[in-house]
Amino acid sequence: MPHYAIAVNLNLCTGCMSCEVACKQENDVPLGVYWNRVQRFMQGDAYPDFKQFWLPTMCQQCQEAPCVEVCPVGASYRDGDDNTVLIDEDKCIGCQACISACPYGVRTYVEDTNKVVKCELCHQLTTQGDKPACVKNCPAGCRFYGDADDPDSDFSKAIANADADSVHQFPDSGNKPTSAYILSDRIGDWPYEG
Amino acid sequence: MAKTMLTRRSFVKASAVAAATVAAASMAEELVPASDAYADDSSASEEKIVHTVCRACIAQCPILAHVRDGRVVKLEGDPDGPMTHGAACAKGLAGIQALYNPMRNKYPMIRTGERGTNSFKRVSWDEALDTIADKLMEAYDKYGPEAVFTSTGGGGNPHINGPIRFANSFGAPNTFEPGCAQCYLPRQSQARLVYGGRPDDNLSIADSNVLEYYFQDTEARVCVLWGAGPSWSGPSMTGNAIARLRARPEGLKTVVIDPRCTADASKADIWLPIRTGTDVALMMCWIKYIIDNELFDKEFCQQWTNFPFLVDPDTKIDIDAKEIGGTEGNYVVYDNAQGKVVEMPYPYPDGYDVALFGEYDVTFSDGTTKKCKTGYQVLKEACEDYSLENTADICWLDADKIEEAIRLYTDNCSTLIHGLATDRSPNSAQAALAALELECMMGHVECPGAALQAFGKLGPQPGIVENDTFGQGCLQALVTREMLEKRLGAPEHKGFYNWQVSHIPSVLEAIKTGEPYKPRIWLERSGNKLAMLGNVKSWYDVFPEIDFCVHAYMYPTSFTVECADVIIPTREWLECPKPVKLLNMIFPRQEVAHLFETADETMYWARLAAKCAERGNDRCRRAFDWNEVAPGKSVMDGNWEMGVADGIPWAHDEAELMEFFMKDCVDPDTGEKMTFPELCEKGPITYSPMETWRQYYVYKQTNPDTGLPYGFGSHSKRVEPYSDITVKLGRTGYPFALCEEGQVDLGEEYSVEYEPVPYYMEPDESPLDDSEYPLVMTAGRVPYFHHGTLRNVPWLREIQPTAEIWINKQDADKYGIENSGDWVKVSSRRGETYARALITGAIAPGMVYQERFWYPELLDTDYKDHGSWMAGNVNVLTKNDAPFSDVYGTYTLEGFQVKIEPVDSCPFDIWTEPEQFSAWLPEPSDPTTDDYEIPEEL
Repeated sequence: MPHYAIAVNLNLCTGCMSCEVACKQENDVPLGVYWNRVQRFMQGDAYPDFKQFWLPTMCQQCQEAPCVEVCPVGASYRDGDDNTVLIDEDKCIGCQACISACPYGVRTYVEDTNKVVKCELCHQLTTQGDKPACVKNCPAGCRFYGDADDPDSDFSKAIANADADSVHQFPDSGNKPTSAYILSDRIGDWPYEG
Repeated sequence: MAKTMLTRRSFVKASAVAAATVAAASMAEELVPASDAYADDSSASEEKIVHTVCRACIAQCPILAHVRDGRVVKLEGDPDGPMTHGAACAKGLAGIQALYNPMRNKYPMIRTGERGTNSFKRVSWDEALDTIADKLMEAYDKYGPEAVFTSTGGGGNPHINGPIRFANSFGAPNTFEPGCAQCYLPRQSQARLVYGGRPDDNLSIADSNVLEYYFQDTEARVCVLWGAGPSWSGPSMTGNAIARLRARPEGLKTVVIDPRCTADASKADIWLPIRTGTDVALMMCWIKYIIDNELFDKEFCQQWTNFPFLVDPDTKIDIDAKEIGGTEGNYVVYDNAQGKVVEMPYPYPDGYDVALFGEYDVTFSDGTTKKCKTGYQVLKEACEDYSLENTADICWLDADKIEEAIRLYTDNCSTLIHGLATDRSPNSAQAALAALELECMMGHVECPGAALQAFGKLGPQPGIVENDTFGQGCLQALVTREMLEKRLGAPEHKGFYNWQVSHIPSVLEAIKTGEPYKPRIWLERSGNKLAMLGNVKSWYDVFPEIDFCVHAYMYPTSFTVECADVIIPTREWLECPKPVKLLNMIFPRQEVAHLFETADETMYWARLAAKCAERGNDRCRRAFDWNEVAPGKSVMDGNWEMGVADGIPWAHDEAELMEFFMKDCVDPDTGEKMTFPELCEKGPITYSPMETWRQYYVYKQTNPDTGLPYGFGSHSKRVEPYSDITVKLGRTGYPFALCEEGQVDLGEEYSVEYEPVPYYMEPDESPLDDSEYPLVMTAGRVPYFHHGTLRNVPWLREIQPTAEIWINKQDADKYGIENSGDWVKVSSRRGETYARALITGAIAPGMVYQERFWYPELLDTDYKDHGSWMAGNVNVLTKNDAPFSDVYGTYTLEGFQVKIEPVDSCPFDIWTEPEQFSAWLPEPSDPTTDDYEIPEEL
């Protein structure tokens, strides 16, 4: 099965927040809730020992997704065709077990609806052959969507073109995140192990 | 302290009292239905995708608007955009929340309560315009046309020049814009003087220039971003261009000169966090280093600049060969090959080897002999003091890093992109000149990789009138010499004549004192003047002197509440039709939706001009006549002999306006003339083949009319980095003083002296001697707001809910600020305001950075504490008194002194939490179009 995800080249990301707004518009995300959140990292107290980059965080499309495993009603599931980790809102009972299980804090419980929400890679677009809204609109062209297992995908090519040393993933506690980040030492120090 | 009573529920509830007196923008129940993000999808009909063009800032990014049942339901970047490739930034994508914002001004309103209260009543368009026209003509008859003044602003609107056009057709000498002398006028004007280029041929990428950078195959390898932050000033256009070049295998190395660590600075190969206000010293250091080390392009300097021309030491003007008995229009040089002073014909003769430096005896026709230096020699001597070490001290930089940066610039295919930072302090003219001198010295003119290009000058022309710049085209043929003389501050700072605008502090002083006359009727279009003007409190203090004030904008702002007597509702960019040129293409900005009784701004001004014409203003009548306003001369070709012209008259209705805009536009497929509806139907067109449009070295190509190379638009047909034309500008107004008589000499009475080469001014308030206010304030953009716009857009306000001040840890420790997010009070000699601290290495010790924030949530109750514009606005602190830029009248928006102290909280009841902004979300309701009547003409 394929493993679709987004790779972000942080060497290019400019922290313009277009992806946050594109996501909210496309997916009707409420105020105060983020499926894709951009965090600014500032390392060092003063010039010249100062580095800065922005880190967008969204569902990492784990290959051993704990959210899918812990969901008691099958609301967190993998798409039968493209294997994307999705949420079936009709099934979700708002128990938030998935939120506890997710190592990256990318899921949000919405009180009004008693549902849990998260990035679904704009499945409504990708199933029509389109790209996720944050990828299409990205002013810096730093987001790459595709199947990590397909060497010809935008995702894989972005990773292949980067120095191996500058390719990072969020810490893996056996859940095997698919999303990847490119960050060179010159631009910033990857803030996590791995 | 008053409390905000407006939870979302009460906001809507309060607005339901649609009685005679209501608050502007509290009419949420009358909203036209919103995006389907907030509506029921089930009955959706087919979705249409429309090409249009954003104008949430000045970048103009092509957008695809998804429309269903007449409603805009989604926006995304248009992949056909040749400068954006499908990118769209946060501001553009949030356009839906701007369009359907409950705060929209929906119909004309007239004040019912005191100024300072948000109390207005709805009136018809006719009543509003009659009221305004009566006031205007009463004032005209009683005090003369100079009693009326207009103002405009750059934020988010395609019709920025309407106020200038109206002032010129009314006969009013004064218009101003808070950017202008503080943003782009110095750099744009100085480029016209030095390069002789068209209005848009200059070093400012943020003002839609530097088109070379939109091509992946550019030979550019190094870019100096001097006070420019393209990734944040225009994320999806300028930012996209830089990002695409960075992403190439060969990359793009950058030197970033900026006190802030912007996104661009954080990716730079060399970041020079310069002390704000000292840029000219650093530029002069670069000039000195490049001359001393002979790193300049000698052949270009000899053949295509006026550097070798000998200068009359008494006049500072390049000597005309006529003065030594030669041919008029030639210049005078010392030729090493002949070993003597000779005249310099055009083009550069074979066998010449002219001296770039030195001082030579020149014998004039009258027999006198003077020691005359070359222009380059004069520049060299001006820069003498700026060694690497001295400059490092002045600019708080490291000498080795400066040298490394210069070497990166000189040793590669490079260019210097000049941002607006240096336009924000009184040394603006000199910075603009010095940056151009560097590019001329290096021969970075129309060569591959250079910013200065004449793309599109040859071959098919777009045939559309863009009509969105200042200056030429703004009904200049209706301006009298008397208006030029009466334009406040312009005779002293003659750069203002280029954009036909006035000096803001001089207008303020005239309102206050009545000298030399009293401006008293104010027609304003733009967002929040109380957030954008320097030292805004000084403006608030003169509001009682204003007899009558009209505010035209999409939303009410602090200015509306504090000063406006009439509100004119204008359109958002998604409602404004207009053709837009992008590289060799033309895109239609379409009227994708149209809400309420909002007017296209150009039509508002036209209709007001018609009302004034009906009341006997003959100039307003003439402004509708092609023969009166467009004598047929083109002024956009970059020649100093500009002449008056190329304006379009006021249109009688919008269809006619579109005809004017599409003047000579041709369908490239049929060769037939094209209408605007046809352009909308067809989508973007290519008006000139790329290989014709994108040509280097246009100046070297043969002009078929003369048989000589085109050269440049200056008298010498060379670039003129020794800017004796600036000296002439001061003495006469040439080439910018244009009126109905053509180019005029304003004469001895108005003569002032400007310098032909740069000089450095230490900021008036300086950290070198200020112990009371120890920190230097700098300025700059964030990527999700443009000027004062969009602070009422939920998606953007939740990104940055409050004003923020960047401070280095060293200073935070010193002044007792413990954590990022803590509130601080920031004070200057003008006033005090509040912000949350961001303690960061992104700003150098000794400097702080704050943006121009204002709080629309404080408009809706009748606040008397002025919190909307005082609570978080750096312009409460900025400085609008002398010294000013000699040439451009620039005052001080950065590089002045402040102090900060921790406070428990912001003393104003601002909104900080995302849920609070839900009051500004679109509220779906039944269509209410029956309630609105838009006059045909609007």
